[in-house]
Amino acid sequence: MKISVNTEIALTYLTSRKKQTVVASLGVMFGISMFIFMQSLMKGTNDYFEKMSFTNTPHIRLYSENKVADNHMLKSYFNDPSEKILTNPKQLNQSLGLTNPYGIIEQIRRNPEVANTTPQVTGNVLYTSGSVELPGNMAGVQIDEEDKMFDVQSNMVSGNLHDLNRVHNSILIGKGIADKLSLHTGDNITVRSGNGNTLMMRVVGIFSTTVKQIDDTKSYANISAVQSLMGKDRSYVTEIKINLVNYMNASKVARDIETITGYKAEDWIKANEQLKAAFKIRAIILNSVIGVLLLVAGFGIYNILNMTIYEKIKEIAILKAQGFSGSSVTSIFLQQAIYIGVMGGIVGLILGFSLTFMVSKIYIGAGTLKYLPMSFYIPHYIQALCFGIFTTVAAGYFPARKASKVDPVTIIRG
Amino acid sequence: MENLALKASGITKYFHDPVKMQVLKEINMEVKKGEFVSIIGKSGCGKSTLLYILSTMDTDYEGTLEINNVLATGQSLNNLARIRNESIGFVFQFHYLLPDFSCLKNVMIPALRLGKLSYKEAEETAYEKLKMFGVEDQALKKAGKLSGGQQQRVAIARALVNNPAIIMGDEPTGNLDSKNTGIVFDLFKQLSKEYGQTLITVTHDEDFAKRSDRTIVMADGQIINKPM
Repeated sequence: MKISVNTEIALTYLTSRKKQTVVASLGVMFGISMFIFMQSLMKGTNDYFEKMSFTNTPHIRLYSENKVADNHMLKSYFNDPSEKILTNPKQLNQSLGLTNPYGIIEQIRRNPEVANTTPQVTGNVLYTSGSVELPGNMAGVQIDEEDKMFDVQSNMVSGNLHDLNRVHNSILIGKGIADKLSLHTGDNITVRSGNGNTLMMRVVGIFSTTVKQIDDTKSYANISAVQSLMGKDRSYVTEIKINLVNYMNASKVARDIETITGYKAEDWIKANEQLKAAFKIRAIILNSVIGVLLLVAGFGIYNILNMTIYEKIKEIAILKAQGFSGSSVTSIFLQQAIYIGVMGGIVGLILGFSLTFMVSKIYIGAGTLKYLPMSFYIPHYIQALCFGIFTTVAAGYFPARKASKVDPVTIIRG
Repeated sequence: MENLALKASGITKYFHDPVKMQVLKEINMEVKKGEFVSIIGKSGCGKSTLLYILSTMDTDYEGTLEINNVLATGQSLNNLARIRNESIGFVFQFHYLLPDFSCLKNVMIPALRLGKLSYKEAEETAYEKLKMFGVEDQALKKAGKLSGGQQQRVAIARALVNNPAIIMGDEPTGNLDSKNTGIVFDLFKQLSKEYGQTLITVTHDEDFAKRSDRTIVMADGQIINKPM
């Protein structure tokens, strides 16, 4: 391969000062590996929390929202804008249930974006065992669908969730409830609903999520059991939970479903505003740390090239006297910066990957989290390399331009 | 007219720092192709300043300069760099080799820059030139490892590698002993006689000057005698 004389000079300068070259590329290497490591940690953590939030929140929740009476019907009756109607808006007295829930579910399932959907009846209840009463809420579900969507099975501490379908009036309770009421699988529990109905149920399983609030209050029962506990008929459904093929489309699909059904469809982003805020804050913190790292690496390169230029100023003058143009001199020094950047960059990518890999094997063992969540996401590596090369070129450009402006006469004549 | 290697007319130059001072006053000179010219004069008379203007490195002057009948005054820096690369070889008082490169590489670099020869040919030419000065056995050593005299000879070889029409020297033998000075002088003489290359050297060495084709004597920024 024929390399240009500029490249040859640049390479000779780099190899004749190995120590400085290595130090400069170490700076880039650390910058890039930290970039990759931190991005992987951040994405891994964010993905983990996102996944965690889906263990108890569906991508979209469809429910009937309390409405305040308005006068649009009256207005259309009078049909005269000059008429002023005085009203006293009141909460509408309406059922919390959805009208024709199974029809709605049929309709939603036709949407290709929808992966899973299941109805649910939620009610506030009092759990009683002996003389102890505990407030909580009970979810009447189709347990098979529920398991498919939220992986209830992985949270089970004891018992079998499928017994919910086999045993009449059976219940799955949170570990907090079980501890407080001293219940085990196979024991009986009395559940009282808000309207005074009571039901004796058998505990067929105990689950433990990592969220204490849920473990202390939540229970699952068959949808029909909850319907009868609430004194409602079989078509009483308070909400429909929908999971999508791609949860990033949740807001758009939620709007579509809202338009079609006329009920409130809340997507997971709205339901988890604080999660999104935490993501943003983490991103800002990490990006500023990475920015500082790359800036420091950039200054390292700038400094070393600047020093080189002071050291080599006579040689630059000589090259110019021999007919090297300003742009050739710029090319010589810019190439040095680029080689430092590429070298440090490639080693940095490897180091970043190994660091990420090693850290992903650190055992945490808190709640359902076994190992540190790290993501191996190719675009991070591409981004890191681009950033690294951009920084080195930017840092190399100014010294290189300075070198190109060296006036040979003043330098040679002293 | 067409056998002029270099023609300078009305060259005037000022130094601005620390105070404005005229160093060259309306210098007119012509150098024929194949001529061996020495410029002598006391320190500070402006002879080196003149040489740097003639070499196109210094562009801050009044008057006009023609090299090989091409006007060099007012050309862009990149064009001047190309002219220097192609038709001017420069030898300095101090060798100014690139110490990180081998002697051979040092000599090759201007040839590679010019790009007329392949890498292999440039290498051969460079070796040839080193041989002319008897330093071919040092070819692969780093330039920084050579003795002063050897370095200066490598530097002269470097100035000759592109077979420039004009070779300029600012005290080219200033760092050489009398034996080496003799070698260099004979070579310069040979270059002008046999290869028709033009030589312009600034020197303190009266003896060196006397033996060249023509001596230009300068004093106070002017040429005071100009024997034709």
